[in-house]
Amino acid sequence: MARGVSPIHQRADYIETAPTGPAPHLHVVDPVPSHAQQKPRLSLDGVTVNFGARAVSAVQDVSLTIGAGEFVALLGPSGCGKSTLLNVMAGFCTPVQGRVLLDGEPLTGPSAKCGVVFQKHSLFPWMTALDNVAFGPRRLGLTNARQIAQDLLDIVGLAHVANEWPASLSGGMQQRVGIARALATRPPVLLMDEPFGALDAQTRSLMQEELLSIWDKLRPTVVFVTHDIEEAIFLADRVVVMQTYPGRIAREFAIDIPRPRSAEVLNDHAFIERRREITDVIRVEARKTFR
Amino acid sequence: MTVALQSLRKFKGVAVAITLGAIGLSLFAGIWTWASAHLGNDVLLPSPLSVLSTYAELIADGSLAKDIGASIFRVFAGFSIASTIAVPLALVLAYSRILRGLVMPLIALIRPIPPIAWIPLAILWMGLGDPPSYFITSIAAFFPIFLNAFAGGTSLQQEHVNAARSLGAGPFALLTKVMLPSALPMIVTGLRIGLGQAWMAVVTAELIAAQSGLGYMIQISRLSLETSRVLVGMTVIGLLGAVMIGSLGVLERRFIVPWNYPR
Ligand SMILES: Nc1ncnc2c1ncn2[C@@H]1O[C@H](COP(=O)(O)OP(=O)(O)OP(=O)(O)O)[C@@H](O)[C@H]1O
Ligand SMILES: [Mg+2]
Repeated sequence: MARGVSPIHQRADYIETAPTGPAPHLHVVDPVPSHAQQKPRLSLDGVTVNFGARAVSAVQDVSLTIGAGEFVALLGPSGCGKSTLLNVMAGFCTPVQGRVLLDGEPLTGPSAKCGVVFQKHSLFPWMTALDNVAFGPRRLGLTNARQIAQDLLDIVGLAHVANEWPASLSGGMQQRVGIARALATRPPVLLMDEPFGALDAQTRSLMQEELLSIWDKLRPTVVFVTHDIEEAIFLADRVVVMQTYPGRIAREFAIDIPRPRSAEVLNDHAFIERRREITDVIRVEARKTFR
Repeated sequence: MTVALQSLRKFKGVAVAITLGAIGLSLFAGIWTWASAHLGNDVLLPSPLSVLSTYAELIADGSLAKDIGASIFRVFAGFSIASTIAVPLALVLAYSRILRGLVMPLIALIRPIPPIAWIPLAILWMGLGDPPSYFITSIAAFFPIFLNAFAGGTSLQQEHVNAARSLGAGPFALLTKVMLPSALPMIVTGLRIGLGQAWMAVVTAELIAAQSGLGYMIQISRLSLETSRVLVGMTVIGLLGAVMIGSLGVLERRFIVPWNYPR
């Protein structure tokens, strides 16, 4: 991590890129406590997704309302449809039933309003790390795209590999470039699919804190998919636990641990209590699947 | 310091490769010399030295340069025609299921026909001279270019398209920044193979349907039993083909698709 680098949102050059007045791709920060449910940013209503002729839906009848600036973690066993649900929110995949609203409007397809961090390698191999990150700003016609990209690479601690091809970066480094790329357009909604899954524990914990600090300043709406119960509780305002066959929401937990959170909260009573509750639910769900 | 060490190691590798290659070639030349001395017949197998002196002769009278020029021009003509048609066609077919269904069966049927089998038709349609050679070389280059470009087009990953669209890419940016670059490595491979095929085909075409070029030179030298000229033609073909394909390979690694060969 590049400690001592000031976060991107505090820099004048980054702020200046934001046009004054409402711009569709920029999220205006609301000074409201994050866990307070305000006007919904993203809402899913009875969403069902099938793949081919499979008997069981990948995602079945999922309804979920996510407030502007809310941080939601999606937790569940492998194959329960987390990525599929995220693809629906990103507009990559149209549900067979149900609808998705973004800011009250039906979602028509992917756009720069929803930044996505993908589970698997999705960097463009034909662009350097820097050009990957600058891709979004360039599409939006920002003239300082290069500077934005450099600053974000700094934040994810990869300024020194700016001119490398993705193929010469490690998996974890690629994932961090992917996070920088998704942040570069400052999307009001950030959809992250197991972004830290490939990182070592040390980097992972640093990245979690860095993500929280970025989120705290920019307040995007985040949907964060993970396998990791502690990670979900540490980051989120709300943990949505999914069950499998078919993929459905099993339970939701509000996480009322005060912010800002640091690594110390992992030992707090409230944290441990939440972890126990969620672990119990997941264990019950897992047992159902194996029977 | 590590950079110096690395380049030293690289230099060593190159030196070893060159030494081994030189040893291999000298061994071959040795066997050739021995065999021709053993046969003692310059029509059956002239010695490397007499081939070299024929080289000097043909270079001095300028005829070798003329033949090389004629052949290279035909190869580039045919190769350009083939790539201009094959690359766009392959990409369009890769992205359109209907056109793919329409055209692919036809391609599958035409592909196994060797370029040489087209020569009678080419001569009937175009007479002797340059045009049949353009035709034959472009047929030879077309299929490797087409098939590789098609594979490049279909290798497009949905994740890359999704990522680009969620970063605000419109149809044009999607085409130029995602679809084309993702197909490029395979396209370049196709071009390299296609160039090699065109080079081999031009000799075939010239053996039969032309009145200049290396293939023609080999053919008339055979008729006049000047075997050392035949061997000059053959070795020039080998040499130039290796140089062309090798330099295209270098261009590919250094400049066209460097991301596929990260150091
Ligand atoms: N493109 C696809 N075609 C067919 N089936 C698919 C496709 N994508 C996902 N599925 C199926 O849908 C179900 C949910 O998959 P999904 O990738 O959403 O799971 P996940 O919760 O993200 O799992 P993981 O934690 O392992 O990433 C699985 O049964 C999977 O086999
Ligand atoms: Mg997944």
